[in-house]
Amino acid sequence: MYQWLDERFDISRLQRKFLRKAFPVHHSFFLGEIALFAFVVLVLTGIFLTFNYEPSTRVIRAPDGRDLQAAYLSILFIDSLPFGAVLRSMHHWSAHIMVAAAFLHLLRILLSGAYKKPRELNWLIGLGLLGLSIVTAFTGYALPYDNYAVTATRIGYGIAQSIPWIGSAVASIMFGGEFPGSDRVIPRLYSIHVLWLPLLLIATIGLHLLIMIKQKHTQPRYAEKVAPGKVMGVPAMPQQAVMMGVLFLVYLAITAFVAGAFLAHPIEAFGPLSVKTPDVKPDWYFLWIYGLLKIIPSSWQFEIFGGKFGPEFWGGVVVPGMLGVVAALLPFVDTRKNKLRYVELPSQHPLRTSITVGLLMFFIMATLAGYKGDPGLDWLTTPLLWTLILVVPTVTTAVSYVLMKSLYSERSEGESAAPSPGPGY
Amino acid sequence: MYRNDAVVPTFALIFALALFYMAFLDGQHVAALEGRMPEVLTVGQIGLMAFGMVLSLYGFIGLLSNWLEGAELRPGKHYPTPSSLPMVAGAVLALLLVAVSGFFARTLAFSSVNSYNVPALQGGLFAAMMLLMALMIAIYKKFFMEEEVLAEDEHSDFPW
Repeated sequence: MYQWLDERFDISRLQRKFLRKAFPVHHSFFLGEIALFAFVVLVLTGIFLTFNYEPSTRVIRAPDGRDLQAAYLSILFIDSLPFGAVLRSMHHWSAHIMVAAAFLHLLRILLSGAYKKPRELNWLIGLGLLGLSIVTAFTGYALPYDNYAVTATRIGYGIAQSIPWIGSAVASIMFGGEFPGSDRVIPRLYSIHVLWLPLLLIATIGLHLLIMIKQKHTQPRYAEKVAPGKVMGVPAMPQQAVMMGVLFLVYLAITAFVAGAFLAHPIEAFGPLSVKTPDVKPDWYFLWIYGLLKIIPSSWQFEIFGGKFGPEFWGGVVVPGMLGVVAALLPFVDTRKNKLRYVELPSQHPLRTSITVGLLMFFIMATLAGYKGDPGLDWLTTPLLWTLILVVPTVTTAVSYVLMKSLYSERSEGESAAPSPGPGY
Repeated sequence: MYRNDAVVPTFALIFALALFYMAFLDGQHVAALEGRMPEVLTVGQIGLMAFGMVLSLYGFIGLLSNWLEGAELRPGKHYPTPSSLPMVAGAVLALLLVAVSGFFARTLAFSSVNSYNVPALQGGLFAAMMLLMALMIAIYKKFFMEEEVLAEDEHSDFPW
């Protein structure tokens, strides 16, 4: 069989050229693979869901006599199928995992300086991938059309509408009409969620990997001593493929276990859409934006040429936008002349590392603000939250910078590493 | 970052446990406020658990990579030293896999006939099947697979 295919497609040449590509070994490289496998599982479980989901808000009679929206009823049907509830829950959990893994992967790239020459473009593509993942997850949130999901999606609808001059157009493109209310919303979100954004994600992931293969992976620092100037690693086939296979199986194991034990979005508990508005919060990756919206005073608004600049615009568009622009400019500000082959040690770059830690504290404090007004959290006042958001990241950055400078300043990168424990193989 | 060490993955596993515990405490806090156990997870719990799952995966595969591939690579071919114990372990895992798979199929058949799902049992059995397969492959790689480390020129002609 192999010979038959080889005579026709010259597979052995492909084997020599591509399948024996050296793949550097380091545990931190698995974070990107986890995000990739989350996407694969999302596509596979998503295909199963599309077979049984009805993207419509028309009201139909359920077997138990209730009049329910078709979208909501079809999710109840999916949950009743053998293994259906687990697969739907895996889909939901994988969306969360993809965002979390992509964020941690980006953090690893940032801390190890892997965004520098020649990988500037791939850094930008990675930023885009994180944004696309979040938008894709958001567009799927309302699809079950339960009371909680619809109310939570309203927050995003409000942010889209808050963009001066073009807000209504953006909201109309995303939602297809007034949300909730319009019959066109669910079909619009459905087509964006299952077709256009996944296609865009597949294309972008493909480009990301293609550039990574061409530019080569960064390598752990010790490789500089073992094989200087070379790319050292295990062949993509079979060794790296075996490790990826193991990771994929472990991914399925952990996700299936958690998805079965904790159904991420049990729609029966939330109930179908009703006039009663539940107390909701957006998903955790939007909670920091939601927190900012809670503490930005409503008086922060003005109008220019009919365009309204309100609190939702500052918190939901300007702050995330500014962070995005800073991240996009980073590889063009923090540059180097020669090509980066080996990862930089975070301890040897105290300013970059401490700013990253400070940024993480900003996200955590802003997320905390999302809980303002919750029962038992009366002490979370607006002045306190503003203080926490401004002071904690600044102090964290300063303290970590001083600590790192004092601990690592007199040691070079090579010296900072512990003595070699000996060869692995 | 210096080598494929076991320190960071171990820390990731500990951190993952702490995140799961925080999610548990969050649930306890909500239960205390509401006077009953909530039916659904809060967004905070979902976020903590999502990061907990990623770090669990990362910690597990990181430690496995350290065990299977070592802390540092050295170019050349490396041959395993097969022994009877891994073979016995593989056979035991294969038998377990057959048993768990049979049980999993039974739960699906039961669910199909009775229209009653037990997601925790189905998810747990499926997870056990996947984990057993992962362990079998890991054992094969460690004790029976010939390993090779390449040191290639960085100017390859693939993809262009």
